Amino acid sequence: MVELRDVHMRFEEKKVLDGVSLKIEPRERLVIMGQSGSGKSTILRLILGTLQPDSGSIFFKQFEITRLSRRKLQRVRQHIGMVFQYSALLSSRNVRDNVALPLEELTDKSRSEIDKIVDEKLELVGMGDSKELLPEELSGGMRKRVALARALVLDPELLLLDEPSAGLDPVIGSVIDELIISLSEKSKVTSITATHEMDSAFRIATRMAMLYQGTIIKEAKPEEFKHSKNPVVAQFVSGSTEGPILEGSLDAITKK
Amino acid sequence: MANAEPPPVVIAEGVGHVTRYFLREVGSVFWLIANTFEETFERIQHGRLPFRAASFFRHTERVGVDSVPLAGLVSFFLGLTMALLTGYQLQRFGTERLIPGLVAIAFTRELGPLLTGIMIAARIGAAFTAELGTMQVSEEVEAIEAMGIGPLRFLVAPRMLALFLLMPCLSTVSNLAAIFASSLVCKAYFSIAFPYFLDLVKDSLLIRDIITGILKSFLFGLLIAAIACYRGLTVKGGAAGVGTSTTSSVVTAITAVIGFDTLYNVVYTTFYPT
Repeated sequence: MVELRDVHMRFEEKKVLDGVSLKIEPRERLVIMGQSGSGKSTILRLILGTLQPDSGSIFFKQFEITRLSRRKLQRVRQHIGMVFQYSALLSSRNVRDNVALPLEELTDKSRSEIDKIVDEKLELVGMGDSKELLPEELSGGMRKRVALARALVLDPELLLLDEPSAGLDPVIGSVIDELIISLSEKSKVTSITATHEMDSAFRIATRMAMLYQGTIIKEAKPEEFKHSKNPVVAQFVSGSTEGPILEGSLDAITKK
Repeated sequence: MANAEPPPVVIAEGVGHVTRYFLREVGSVFWLIANTFEETFERIQHGRLPFRAASFFRHTERVGVDSVPLAGLVSFFLGLTMALLTGYQLQRFGTERLIPGLVAIAFTRELGPLLTGIMIAARIGAAFTAELGTMQVSEEVEAIEAMGIGPLRFLVAPRMLALFLLMPCLSTVSNLAAIFASSLVCKAYFSIAFPYFLDLVKDSLLIRDIITGILKSFLFGLLIAAIACYRGLTVKGGAAGVGTSTTSSVVTAITAVIGFDTLYNVVYTTFYPT
């Protein structure tokens, strides 16, 4: 479904991705883990085509994202749903209009058909009674759920989720995770989630990948991850301060 | 030696940097205009409206209707002042009947479009940049792109079209306000009755003057919209970045309007010297 081949990416002087290769099979729920700023969101944006890599190729089905024209890329994106870390709802439009936007702009559906789909998606995420509210009137969890409804409104084949449960209370975080799982099981949606929340990652994932210093250092099933002997993975999963991740930087912090 | 002047190489390097930055910015603004047209016409070719009519009319109301008091009032006062100051000078030579023509030509050809351009760059250009800049930093623009919707035709095209179409209307409002103001001064200070004033205006104004002013207004509208939207869509650095870009947008748009006005006049007077 999605493949990254030897992707390199740098932002000015900072090397973010240094030869990332990943393959995601249909109906998988891949979770990409890594520290903040390690390049997880960059991978999602590269798949979506809103960023271009310095080198390497990215495929979505038979399409090479990195070589598509703007017009074709726009068409491909209609098969991909993206939930941004901070939801990115259009602040001037209410919940209904936010979710309806892709349908209004990209399909020939009538107003009543659009309303029906919007109602259905908002019910799915438990936001059916908040249609008239503006994004500023919603809590973080509600925004995430509306963003999820918007990402699902065109029935995408691939769902990209950037920190879906970050900043949410554990209960709402679990609700979002359960939603992602049920979507993949019922609607056969493939999903790629970028997160550093371990509980959420283990709940969602059918496969996990650890991104560290610009490369994927481990790809495995969640169970294997939990008992990994790799010191970086083991430290990240346990959240310990002892280990290679903070070497050097911890000394700098404690010396201050 | 501490106050030694920088060597010529350093100066040349500085000039090179500034020139490169300038050319890149100019190129980017024209790229934005070209791509907005392309996205919009692609959509029309597929038999669909490029943007929602409601969105377009919301912008026309902001750009046009809401700007009428400002454009009218500023031009009215300027028309009054211009008629009064030139009138006293012309009166010394017994040629005060030239005032109506002078104000009418000056405004329809030059001051109407220019003043409106400056006012709209400050009022609407700043608003467009701040609006799009805020959307950019809160990832809204990227979300639109992620949905497969062209952000240029969805966000830029309605704003650009609204400014492009409404600028000539606002210039006309500005011209009429200034001419009306000068008619009041002519009546009150120089005993030129309103019907005679109108005859003098009609005698002096050429269709060419009116067309020149309208063409300039279209051009200014397009320029202001392109610069404002470009600055908005390229905001970096959060809330502070929005502020910096908004200031930069207003300064650039006003400079561009005055610069293009000069260029237009140079080209125009070269081909039509009389």
